[in-house]
Amino acid sequence: MLNVENLKVFHGLIEAVHGINLVVPKGQCVALLGPNGAGKTSTILGITGVARSTGVISFDERPITEMSTEARIKEGISVSPEGRRVFANLTVEDNLVLGGALKPEGKSERIAYWYKTFPILGERRDQMAGTLSGGEQQMLSIARALMNDPEILLLDEPSLGLAPKIVSQIFEMIQSLRDEKRTILLVEQNATQALRLSDYAYFLNNGRIVAKGRPDELGGREDLMAKLTGIT
Amino acid sequence: MEYVVQQIMNALAFGAEYALLALGLAIVFSIMGLVNFAHGEMIAVGGYTMVAASALALQNPFVIIVAAIGVAMVASVTLERVAFRPVRYADPTTGLLTAFGVSMILQNLFLLFVSPRPIAVTSLYFLEWSIELGSLRISSLQLFETITTLIVIVILMFFLKHTLLGLAMRAASLDFEMVRLSGVRANRVFAIAFMISGFLAGIACVFIMARRGSVDPHLGFDPVLKAFVACVVGGFGSLPGAVLGGFLLGAVEVAMLVMLPQSLGGLTDAFVFGIIAILLIWRPDGILAPRTEKGDKQ
Amino acid sequence: MTLSRGMSRGLIGAAMLSVLLIIAGVITAYFGSRYQLRLVYSAYVNLLVVLGLQVFMGNARITNLSHSAFMGIGAYAAAICVTPQNIKALSLPNAPWGLNAFSLDPLTSAIIAICITGTVALLVGFIIVRLSGIGATIVSLAFLVIIHALFLYRTDIFKGNQAFFGIPQVFSLTSVVLLAALVVFGVRIFRESRWGVALRASADDEVGSLSMGVDMYRLRLIAWVFSAMLLAVAGIAYAYFLGTISARPFYFNHVFLTLAMLIFGGMRTVTGAVLGTIVISLGLEMVRWLETGPIVLGVDLPEALGLSGIALGAVIVFTMALRPNGVMGENEIEDLVLKK
Repeated sequence: MLNVENLKVFHGLIEAVHGINLVVPKGQCVALLGPNGAGKTSTILGITGVARSTGVISFDERPITEMSTEARIKEGISVSPEGRRVFANLTVEDNLVLGGALKPEGKSERIAYWYKTFPILGERRDQMAGTLSGGEQQMLSIARALMNDPEILLLDEPSLGLAPKIVSQIFEMIQSLRDEKRTILLVEQNATQALRLSDYAYFLNNGRIVAKGRPDELGGREDLMAKLTGIT
Repeated sequence: MEYVVQQIMNALAFGAEYALLALGLAIVFSIMGLVNFAHGEMIAVGGYTMVAASALALQNPFVIIVAAIGVAMVASVTLERVAFRPVRYADPTTGLLTAFGVSMILQNLFLLFVSPRPIAVTSLYFLEWSIELGSLRISSLQLFETITTLIVIVILMFFLKHTLLGLAMRAASLDFEMVRLSGVRANRVFAIAFMISGFLAGIACVFIMARRGSVDPHLGFDPVLKAFVACVVGGFGSLPGAVLGGFLLGAVEVAMLVMLPQSLGGLTDAFVFGIIAILLIWRPDGILAPRTEKGDKQ
Repeated sequence: MTLSRGMSRGLIGAAMLSVLLIIAGVITAYFGSRYQLRLVYSAYVNLLVVLGLQVFMGNARITNLSHSAFMGIGAYAAAICVTPQNIKALSLPNAPWGLNAFSLDPLTSAIIAICITGTVALLVGFIIVRLSGIGATIVSLAFLVIIHALFLYRTDIFKGNQAFFGIPQVFSLTSVVLLAALVVFGVRIFRESRWGVALRASADDEVGSLSMGVDMYRLRLIAWVFSAMLLAVAGIAYAYFLGTISARPFYFNHVFLTLAMLIFGGMRTVTGAVLGTIVISLGLEMVRWLETGPIVLGVDLPEALGLSGIALGAVIVFTMALRPNGVMGENEIEDLVLKK
């Protein structure tokens, strides 16, 4: 569904990603792993069009490289970004409404669905999103990203900065998304959990793909694990 | 007693006008960090539209008012599209200087292509008459101005809280990129912001014209300055701050007019600014300034 | 004492600029009509203002809109001190605090004026340097309006929009040219000094520098006060040549004009300040000539009042859109001639 060829992503004049290829087939969860600073978030920024990039990005066989960010979102890409970035000065409910901007029909049903899936969001529906805890914000960020019923969900570091108990809740959530056959590109530093959830994985280091394969193939590769965790 | 009521009306009317003007500035600033000094010229554009309307023998005041507001809105959106788009994502200083430049260009375009001299606009004089309530005598125009401003503020609040674009605008003031990542087009958000700003300028224009009765190229300078001061006092970028600042400025101005003895009459402005200065020393960022911490995502 | 590389290049650059300025001054003095002499003089005064502006804006990277106010404070302070008592008795009959009862020589008056301006700058600066970029700009604008209102309304001291006359005209083109050369050196030396370098570094990365122990507020304050003192010098040069001043020149139009000069030339360098002043001064004269509706190539052009305002506005808008760092960008004059 998402096909990335020779993607180079730039921050100003600095090239952060040096020409990578990756594929996210429909209905699968693909993980993009790597240590800090590897270029994982830059890849996401390149795909969404926020950062300047070269290469070919195709979505559903259609090239989207020349499209603006908003147009790409309209094509069916949705992102829950690094740091969650909920709209702090809007209520939880307003966050969901704004997340569903592109699909106003059926909005109330979808909001009700998310309140059922994440009861805590329902409880806090009129609270300012900025006052939510980290875990709650992450749930909100994911729910918001799914409000306009996207074709693919880009999840950038959902476990970042969260307590272990919350992290497992989040990963349970992602698993249920998988069970719904959603297409997901999961960027994570927490490789163990991510590998458990994905159908395929890419290892990124210093802006290049250094390994790729199915989780059962990669899990045994201790050299990669060492790179990630610093433990040999 | 009548005197007190009269002065309260004065303060409300001044404050209402300043609040309208300040809101126009604050809306644009909150989204894109642009101090739109050309806002005053939107008022002048409205005034010149009224001149054009009378030249076309359009007498109906309703038509004239709608035309003035409409043209101000169109001019405002055009300005965004033409002049401010290149500096849209630049730092606030670049935007401020561009706005200065645009303001200068527009003022001189009026000078060059219309007239350096004031042109009379009498079609709105009818709006001002004396209302007698018992022993009180108040100006109808002040009443209209205060009530209209309050209605406009309520409408604006409704728009910002309950419409998608309103939500987008509020969210954009903190994280524009994320708004775009939710699929809302940046162009649309900017256009709406400038349209609202133009609308507010148009309404202010109606009241200013009704009072002044004439338009000249530099008409916009004083209002935008007052709007600017009101925003600074209330906290630049904060919409409630703009309203607060506007009414505060109006109150202080009337208070100075009342309290200063006749001989020091000309010093009103100086005293007003003096009080503003003290306020700024106490709260350099303005009273209701939105807090951004260094290192926050802009 | 060994100079840093930046400082030695800075001195070379300042010398090159000074030579150019002196040559221009000499040419005008010998060949220029009286009218042209006045024009060139005011261009040099504007240069002093733009240089003063560059000290703060170019190093702290914060837009300052109050510079004309400081120029006015310097001009009025010197004017009040230096104007002979008998003239002040006529022009300021109601002056408080015995301001019309004394007069000092031009040098002392100038020094007092610079000190007063510096003190005011220090007081205002305490607030301004702690604010964010746009916040500081906004407060500086408020300051401009406040000072102007003060000038207009304390007519017993300042005479408002009426001419404050009788200032002894002790300056000539020579004086202002030499002054300009001196200030070019001063501004350039500041830029390459460890304060200037530290300030520019912290302007680019506020949080980073603070964490490295750079006292950015103090640096900004130093630049701010230095800038204000240079602006006072400009105001004094203005007053000492014209012999009369009023409140009008120290307000928005002047702010705008000098800002356009600095922005066009490039606010990050001293060369930018000089280049911008020269180009805009010349350009503006040409546009003003066009405004009068002259006869060009046999065609009688119509009067076009307002053209200069449009031209100035266009300069700012186009510079901001196309080349926000100005013509010179990051380059000083010696960068064009010497190898980097």
